[in-house]
Amino acid sequence: MVKSELIKRSPLRILEKSIQGGLGKGNIGILASRKGVGKTACLVHIATDKLLQNKPVIHVSYSSRVDYIINWYEDIFKEIAKKRQLESAVDVHDEIIKNRVIMNFKQDGVNTEQVLKSLTAMIEYGKFAADAIIVDGFDFTQSCSDDLDLFKNFAEKLGLEVWFSASLKGEEPLFNESGVPFLLEGCLGKLDVLITLRFEKDHVQLNLVKDPEFSSTKNLDLKLDPKTLLISEHGE
Amino acid sequence: MKTDISKMRNIGISAHIDSGKTTLTERILFYTKKIHKMHEVHGKDGVGATMDSMELEKERGITITSAATRVEWLDNSINIIDTPGHVDFTIEVERSLRVLDGGILVLCSVGGVQSQSITVDRQLKRHKVPTIAFINKCDRVGADPYKVRDQLDEKLGHNAVLMQIPIGLEDKFEGVIDLVAMKAVYYDGEDGEIIRTTDIPAELQPEANAKREDMLDAVSMFSDELMEAVLEERATENQIRDAARKGTISRKMIPVFMGSAYKNKGIQLLLDAAVHYLPNPAEVDNIATDLENEDREIKLEPDPDAGTVALAFKLEDGAYGQLTYIRIYQGSVKKGDELYNSRSRTNFRVGRLIRMHADSMKDIHDASSGDIVALFGIDCASGDTFVKPGLNLSMTSIYVPDPVISLSVNPEDAKSSDKMARALNRFTKEDPTFKTYVDPESKQTIIQGMGELHLDVYVERMRREYSVNVDTGKPEVAYREAISQRVDFNYTHKKQTGGAGQFGRVQGYIEPLAEGQYEFVNKIKGGNIPKEFIPSCDKGFKSSMKKGQLIGFPIIGIKAVLNDGQSHPVDSSDLAFQTAAREAFKQAYAKAKPQILEPIMKVSVEGPSEFVGNVFATINQRRGIIISSVEDGLFARVDAEVPLSEMFGYSTTLRSLTQGKAEFTMEFLKYGKVPTNISDDLKALYREKKLSN
Repeated sequence: MVKSELIKRSPLRILEKSIQGGLGKGNIGILASRKGVGKTACLVHIATDKLLQNKPVIHVSYSSRVDYIINWYEDIFKEIAKKRQLESAVDVHDEIIKNRVIMNFKQDGVNTEQVLKSLTAMIEYGKFAADAIIVDGFDFTQSCSDDLDLFKNFAEKLGLEVWFSASLKGEEPLFNESGVPFLLEGCLGKLDVLITLRFEKDHVQLNLVKDPEFSSTKNLDLKLDPKTLLISEHGE
Repeated sequence: MKTDISKMRNIGISAHIDSGKTTLTERILFYTKKIHKMHEVHGKDGVGATMDSMELEKERGITITSAATRVEWLDNSINIIDTPGHVDFTIEVERSLRVLDGGILVLCSVGGVQSQSITVDRQLKRHKVPTIAFINKCDRVGADPYKVRDQLDEKLGHNAVLMQIPIGLEDKFEGVIDLVAMKAVYYDGEDGEIIRTTDIPAELQPEANAKREDMLDAVSMFSDELMEAVLEERATENQIRDAARKGTISRKMIPVFMGSAYKNKGIQLLLDAAVHYLPNPAEVDNIATDLENEDREIKLEPDPDAGTVALAFKLEDGAYGQLTYIRIYQGSVKKGDELYNSRSRTNFRVGRLIRMHADSMKDIHDASSGDIVALFGIDCASGDTFVKPGLNLSMTSIYVPDPVISLSVNPEDAKSSDKMARALNRFTKEDPTFKTYVDPESKQTIIQGMGELHLDVYVERMRREYSVNVDTGKPEVAYREAISQRVDFNYTHKKQTGGAGQFGRVQGYIEPLAEGQYEFVNKIKGGNIPKEFIPSCDKGFKSSMKKGQLIGFPIIGIKAVLNDGQSHPVDSSDLAFQTAAREAFKQAYAKAKPQILEPIMKVSVEGPSEFVGNVFATINQRRGIIISSVEDGLFARVDAEVPLSEMFGYSTTLRSLTQGKAEFTMEFLKYGKVPTNISDDLKALYREKKLSN
């Protein structure tokens, strides 16, 4: 399969359709689940899909080491290339990594203002025309509301999509009756898209809890394949 | 006198520049009673630390060459190999690491794990050197050994275990608590030479208890005996040390010690630790290749009576002639012995055998396996293996990367010319990454090396040590050429008019080779080219790769396949087939979409976070790709891939942009395609040069 076909047939097109054409510039989306369910895999898949469309991505990580994140990208790319039998995969790979930057911060050492300052520096001084920002490992139990405001302003000002992961901890139940994680109830108004991931028998189900238009839970026709850790359609 | 091998240690001190390595070494020498007065590396008293034997190092405050020196501690003999920290001198580090059995990784308690620490750590890992860590400068403002321990795990992926905790920090740093003995240790006297051991101060007891528990948890993983003892609360100091030693030697943990070399604190316990936790030479496997036996690998025995095997790892040309440092891996070396150099295939006799202290020496009669000593007046190159005549072994060679940068050097007057030749001859023997040749076209002497600073240092050394002043040209990047597609060839070389004729036809293809420089494949069946002329074809292709057609730089990554050809019973010859192959290559190369490649460097910039924007800008302006940035509040590190040709003068730019607070390291990563506009410029320049010649 050639690259353009691969982009067209990506399961992420289903996600885009379900949320009225994609997250959209200036908007914030969150993927929430317990640790180890597959948030990072989803984020990296979303980022890789952007990269394949020649859209530069900045991956902000609060927790993992850079080499660990790079490995995630390598693995996800390998799986996509294998699954879709991507033509000249090595060249495509070399091309897309030029559009990816990983920025690692310590959340207890660097506040959000500083993070956004560095991101702005990367975009302006580093001439890195980012299309989307992926934020992994941000601890929503430490802070939430104010930081999201700052990120939202930043996204609007620079015309970027921002995808977060949110790790849910503690005793069950983690979600309220509308499927919103208790942790994120307070900042629901600031989000444009909220997707939760939950284990179901043999796969991980993606649920759309909020999108820009409406806000009641619906099952996305998407799952996370436990073997490849790729987002895929049901029945695939 | 033979030394008991279990009481021998060969250790190296690896560190980031300015983490206080030289001061630490100086203190070690002092406490082991080798020298009587201590000096700072920056030499306020104009003497300089003893290990820095070269003028230039004194001036720059960095250590360039490695010297080996012997000290005695706790009834053990320790050879300390001073390893340079700067990445531009990597080959020196590699060579010293080759002969070490254990390493001390020195870290600054303020700066923590910095980019160079990452480089030297990688080198230690590559050579599988068991390591202990020393967190220095605990007296500095902002000292935080706990943070540094965490960084060892987070940034370097170690299992770092605190064996001590500090008593006070910054200007209140007084000493350490030894978590094994559970005692407070203070350093009294003018030079911290008097060790005072007391009970742990009451206010630190809870912290000490907690950290000891952490330590025991980690260390008991390596000993069931200790684990049981810990559960029954009867663990002895020896049990703990034995388990930690096991963990360290198997490189599954790094015990962490701390102090302040400058304030004379913590050094003696670090020496104890080197003896307790680092391996003796018999505990490390060493492999040689048997040149007689299809390069089979042979494990060497640390037996002093076995056949001698030693490696020359360091050459120094001093006031008394050439000194060759050797590490003995097997057998013994005695004064008057005859040894065989397995590279040059010559025998030589051991004249003087020397044990070195940084700047003074002692004649000895013999030395046995595990030891590091020096020989006088031996003609050899660094990396040579010396064996007992009759053996033909070679210690696996150290990986020597190709130089990436070159510079023309012209002596200012005729008198200097001879001296320059002498200097260059010596430098190339000392440092395999430093090369020199005379350009046949310009007749200029060219020196080649691993980076701008690398070559700068040799130009400086020529001036200082040989009083040769040279004019240098503009540094030039070592470009390469490569093809990007497969092309078939079918070429007949024919010259059959008058006299002896020449005839040879070669047919096949060339294609890009992903890994490696060159591969020749002979697929001819049925002898259309007689067997004896196949190597001639190989030779012809190979010789074509020395100079590409685009800009005259070597061609890399070619697979040449020969699948048919033709010969003539009289007129075919070695020369005819070489010519045929060369001409075939020439034609095919032009059609194979050749392109120019340039060295791409892996660049790491590190400094205070406030300058991160400036750093991004400098990388972008240099056609670089930013791979990642890491910020932890105070410090930031930016990793990028940047073409070498854009890196000239980067240190000056960086210094002025960041008020000297940021620094960078760089090493060769790969060859990458040159963008079209630059490639066009290079080609135009080459044509111009050719015309003017």
